[in-house]
Amino acid sequence: MNRQGLPPAAPLHWSRSLRLRLLALTLAGVAVAMVLAGLVLSGLFREHVQQQFQAALQLQLDQITARLEFDAQGQPVIAAEALSDPRWLKPYSGLYWQVDAMAPDGRGRAGVLRSRSLWDTSLALQVDALADGAVHVHEVVGPQGAPLLVLERTVRAEGVNAARWRLIVAADLQATQAATARFTGVLALSLAVLLVLLAAAAWAQVAVGLKPLEALQRAVQDVQEARASQLQGSFPAEVQPLVDDFNAVLRRHGEVVERARTQAGNLAHALKTPLAVLENAARARPPTDGQELAALVREQVLVARRHIDWHLARSRVAASAHLPGQRTALQPALEGLVRVMNKVHADRVLDISIAPPQVPLFFAGEAQDLQEMLGNLLDNACKWARSAVRLQAQELSPEVDATQRQLVVTVEDDGPGIDAAQRAQALERGVRLDETVPGTGLGLAIVQDLAALYGGRLDLEPAGLGGLRASLTLPAASSG
Amino acid sequence: MRILLVEDDTLLRAQLRTALQGAGYTVDEADNGRDAQFLGETEAVDAVVLDLGLPVVDGLTVLKRWRAEGRNMPVLILTARDNWHEKVAGIDAGADDYLTKPFHLEELLARLRALIRRASGQASAVLQCGDWSLDTRSGRVTCAGQPVALTAHEYKVLDYLMHRPGVLVSRAELTEHIYAQDFDRDSNTIEVFVGRLRKKLSSLAPSSSASARIETVRGMGYRLVPP
Repeated sequence: MNRQGLPPAAPLHWSRSLRLRLLALTLAGVAVAMVLAGLVLSGLFREHVQQQFQAALQLQLDQITARLEFDAQGQPVIAAEALSDPRWLKPYSGLYWQVDAMAPDGRGRAGVLRSRSLWDTSLALQVDALADGAVHVHEVVGPQGAPLLVLERTVRAEGVNAARWRLIVAADLQATQAATARFTGVLALSLAVLLVLLAAAAWAQVAVGLKPLEALQRAVQDVQEARASQLQGSFPAEVQPLVDDFNAVLRRHGEVVERARTQAGNLAHALKTPLAVLENAARARPPTDGQELAALVREQVLVARRHIDWHLARSRVAASAHLPGQRTALQPALEGLVRVMNKVHADRVLDISIAPPQVPLFFAGEAQDLQEMLGNLLDNACKWARSAVRLQAQELSPEVDATQRQLVVTVEDDGPGIDAAQRAQALERGVRLDETVPGTGLGLAIVQDLAALYGGRLDLEPAGLGGLRASLTLPAASSG
Repeated sequence: MRILLVEDDTLLRAQLRTALQGAGYTVDEADNGRDAQFLGETEAVDAVVLDLGLPVVDGLTVLKRWRAEGRNMPVLILTARDNWHEKVAGIDAGADDYLTKPFHLEELLARLRALIRRASGQASAVLQCGDWSLDTRSGRVTCAGQPVALTAHEYKVLDYLMHRPGVLVSRAELTEHIYAQDFDRDSNTIEVFVGRLRKKLSSLAPSSSASARIETVRGMGYRLVPP
């Protein structure tokens, strides 16, 4: 198991990130709104301009109509000088009029009368069935390829056999089209700027809104990496209940473990005193009297005692090894144990020294478990040492993953050591290599087992001092 | 030598008492922390066997109170759980050694002997004074290599004096360390024991010049004088 927690960061798909999701949705909505607004606004503008243009042209048509007269032959005459707008006179000015004769079959003759501005061209309009008085609007291509808006109506000379004439006014659309295009351009630019501003606002909103989640993630990481035992800090009202619940679960978990640990300890306590009584009674019996029974009791008491030690140590660690947020300073634990050893082995004048670590080291686990492991190793070393025991602790440089930090504590003695063949045996449960030194023969096996539960290990090898070197590798917690 | 035995389990206490008495110690007993604290404060005990899990007041607290009052007799603690945390706490509170239950009585006696010896500045388990020798492990007393048969009380007096060669020991002090608290003490019996010791030991000594002797300091007490 990855004790230090988080899986390596994979490239984030947008649907997996709240931030990207919120941003994507907001931006998509804003973009659609902008495009719609652009289309509607530019449409409205275009329509308005065209209506104004058409209304002005309608006035010109009305003016032409008013100036139209018929001579004696019934031919149309327009007093061009009377028309006020100078553009009628300027060639290709963009404002034109024209009178077409309408034959009964509808074909007629185009350009019977034309404004001077039309110069030598005429407007070619398709045949159109116009009711009397109706005005039709068309868009055609006029002189020099200019787009023209055309208004036409028919008039009839007075008289019985009067012919029908078509009156046409046309004006160049280019100016209005340019104005519309300019407006659309400015509009699009404004909307684009607005889009950018809104996107920035959305990003800021998401960033500020999700800030507490980042803090929460950091808090959880602190718990994972054993810098804190609870989620620290205050969070917004939407997140705080989750934090409170999580802390409650952590607390309850810790309490359950602590209770189980106490229960296990109490059970051991309750069993050990009667065992001590039994064993002492068995030893006290005279050798001739009930020797077999006494031997049996002694043997079974030892077995029971090994079981208790073994299961007590295991259950304690099994419960707490995977509890997050645990952190124990190494140096004070070592110093406490060395004080014990110096006192207990006061007769033997042992030189027990701890090499001072460069930085304070922390074990990612429970204090009692650390003491159990180091205590057994140190006790073993002191039992066998001739004169010196050396302790050293250092952090291992991370091999694979920086989150998997490890520390190693080495305990060396200058005793007889254990030869290679016996080293594996030394780690077996209940095996005592030397029956003359007190102990249950569980020490090293318990250490190995506890270390394994924490994801660490115990290695035995010959020491530089001549005896045994035990290296205990354990998960490290950061000092911060 | 007088031992204060503090253990709340009746059976284990009885076994320990028997073993301690068998090894020549005078034993005072307590089955709870309050009584233990009182005895440790008021009685002249030479060592304490102290269980940590005690009713009324726990053993660690009792130990801390003794040390705070300057009581510096050696203390051997009994811890039921194989718990290093408890061992560290016990040693830091002033204990001199620990034993994890269950333990062999022989080991308890050996540790206790070592503690008492260390407390009186003796390096070896065999106490020597001239040609007198007392093996604290076996309780064997010899004079010039010849075994000397002693009664329990004679042994206790000699043991106490052999731990303090050259030191003036008052009769009251000897009485305190030889009899248990509730024993009817009569300091005249001390004179009797000392008289018998002198007789038994001098009868075996080849020459008086190589031999140690127990000197009476009138009105003060006794002193073991090396040759």
